[in-house]
Amino acid sequence: MVALGLTLIYGVLNQINFAHADFVTVGAFTAFFTATRFATKVLGLPDTGAYLLSMFAALGAGALLGLAVNAAVFAPLRDRGDELRPLIATIGVSVLLENAQLALFGPIPYQFDSPFARETLRIGRIFFSAQSVLVVAVSAAAIAALYGFMRFTFLGKALRAVAQDRETAGLMGINPNLLIALTIVIASALAGMAGALLGPVLVLSPFAGASVIVKAFAIVIIGGFGNMQGTILAGILVGVIEAFTVQYLGSGLIDLVVFVMLLVMLALRPTGLIAERKEENV
Amino acid sequence: MKLALKGAILAFVCATFAVQAQEKVIRVGVLMPISGPGSYFGVMGKEGIDLALEQLKGGVNGYRLQVQYEDSACSPLQATNAVKRVLDQFRPHIVIGEECSDASLAIAPILEQAKVPQLNAGSVTMKLTESGYKYVFRIFPNAAQQSLPLAKVAYDRLGARTAVILYEKTNAGNDNADGFEKPFVAMGGKVLAKIDFGRDVNDFTAIATRIASLGRVDVLPTFALEGQQVRLAQALAQAKVVRGGGGNAVQMGSIWLPYGFDQKAGQAAEGYVRIVQFDPNEKRKIVQDFIRAFRARYGADRVPTHINSHAYDTILLIAEAVRRGATDSESIRERFSGFKGVEVTTGKISFGPNGQNSDLSVIHFVETQKDLSWKGLDW
Repeated sequence: MVALGLTLIYGVLNQINFAHADFVTVGAFTAFFTATRFATKVLGLPDTGAYLLSMFAALGAGALLGLAVNAAVFAPLRDRGDELRPLIATIGVSVLLENAQLALFGPIPYQFDSPFARETLRIGRIFFSAQSVLVVAVSAAAIAALYGFMRFTFLGKALRAVAQDRETAGLMGINPNLLIALTIVIASALAGMAGALLGPVLVLSPFAGASVIVKAFAIVIIGGFGNMQGTILAGILVGVIEAFTVQYLGSGLIDLVVFVMLLVMLALRPTGLIAERKEENV
Repeated sequence: MKLALKGAILAFVCATFAVQAQEKVIRVGVLMPISGPGSYFGVMGKEGIDLALEQLKGGVNGYRLQVQYEDSACSPLQATNAVKRVLDQFRPHIVIGEECSDASLAIAPILEQAKVPQLNAGSVTMKLTESGYKYVFRIFPNAAQQSLPLAKVAYDRLGARTAVILYEKTNAGNDNADGFEKPFVAMGGKVLAKIDFGRDVNDFTAIATRIASLGRVDVLPTFALEGQQVRLAQALAQAKVVRGGGGNAVQMGSIWLPYGFDQKAGQAAEGYVRIVQFDPNEKRKIVQDFIRAFRARYGADRVPTHINSHAYDTILLIAEAVRRGATDSESIRERFSGFKGVEVTTGKISFGPNGQNSDLSVIHFVETQKDLSWKGLDW
């Protein structure tokens, strides 16, 4: 889900969002405080209900943050027609969000346990936590919803039109700025939701998102920047390769294996696992 | 009138400079991770140092301790830049830090060249005090001092014959892992696997699955920061490897692990055996006074960790050196070298010829109980 947000923004804006990791962290903290403070203590919800509510709170927080950052930072810079400034601005937003969270929440890791993280499922000698199943299920649902939205709705088609040719889409009556804002909101909401799902898996501190973003970038590059299907495929592939690396080569070699794979892909197939077809009229 | 005013200002400025010139100060540079994933070290360390400074505000032997904090981010590069900046601008008589072994190793040769003592309270790597530096002093037990007792307890007391060593991929992790493996194997134990991981790893399910497939494992010595230890303990419990999850293996930890880990890990921590240097349950007066003062300053519900107490102790040791007549870097080094049994909250400090504290009299083992409290083990 983290990689999907990255690739969505790149696909539409041709821009890398270095602040994406911090949107994940914001989502994780929103979920943490919603589940452990608001939902259980104020609303009196049971643990499972509180955690499920916290996922929607994180989704909303991610969307609102994306909307605010786009309106305050990205959109004004984009209007100046410079591609580099919005890119640098994403680094600035990342530093700002990280330090704001550091000031608000402090650096000592929080313990975020969901009721699903406490349950273990077993098939023979294989075990996994119910949280992992939830992550896979929610991610699959989100991916399916996003795919359906992009493929079958008018807004989705308009988004793809903006991604292909912003100017021509504008001439067809599509408001590119509105759709770019929508893209950032969707990607940020996905990041927020991912934070809620990963909160009970990660070491929750203001730097939590940073630990997943490097891998997310690798997945996006292996899958093909801007290509949703490729990103999904690469995400599964990297996960499987990581598990086999731990089992047969050693956990210390995970990064080595993943990034060798990344370099091989860049050298042999720079377009990614599934290359985008681009047609040009000459 | 204007002339009189100028004269008064001049007199005031001269008087201020004169007072400053007469004021005797020991400048203490503090390099700690204030940003980045290790920044909780910096926050806790600053709490300890600020508390000690508050208690010493009257000064020692007419000297005031002046502290300047620098962010070294647990990173060798950032620590190198920070120590160069602090040496250049603040001209400290002594530097406290860093917490992380890699960063501590990076600044040691720079301070050695500048002839400024480095007082370390959080790094375990052997290289720090085994590289022949004359200006390095460490109160934290090194890797061998922590791992050897762990190996002995594992083999002799717990009857362990097989082990899987889990450790972060850093100088500290490597040294602790080696420090356990060598004596454990020499005693007759067998290390089934040594599993390392980067500090960015969060999901330990695959590692726990691998351990579960290794057959009977008696002990799992683990050397990692608190956040990873929590996730690791939970994954091992889910895999039914450790006692907290209904398995047979005992997870063992080092002094790295701060007080409060057990509450974060929950039932997964049950049966966890670890070596501790600072124990809030210890009855020594200096420990209980420290806890009282800490709670008065930072909140009645707070329990200080070893990071708070180690940082607090560094200031006590500098104050003791000044009390014994130290006035500059060289005399601080000389006084430190003569320290024998200086009592602080983390035990008694006796620096050996290599600058390593050799007094391990307060170090002991504790086991996490079902209610997540500690039970002291009389080993």
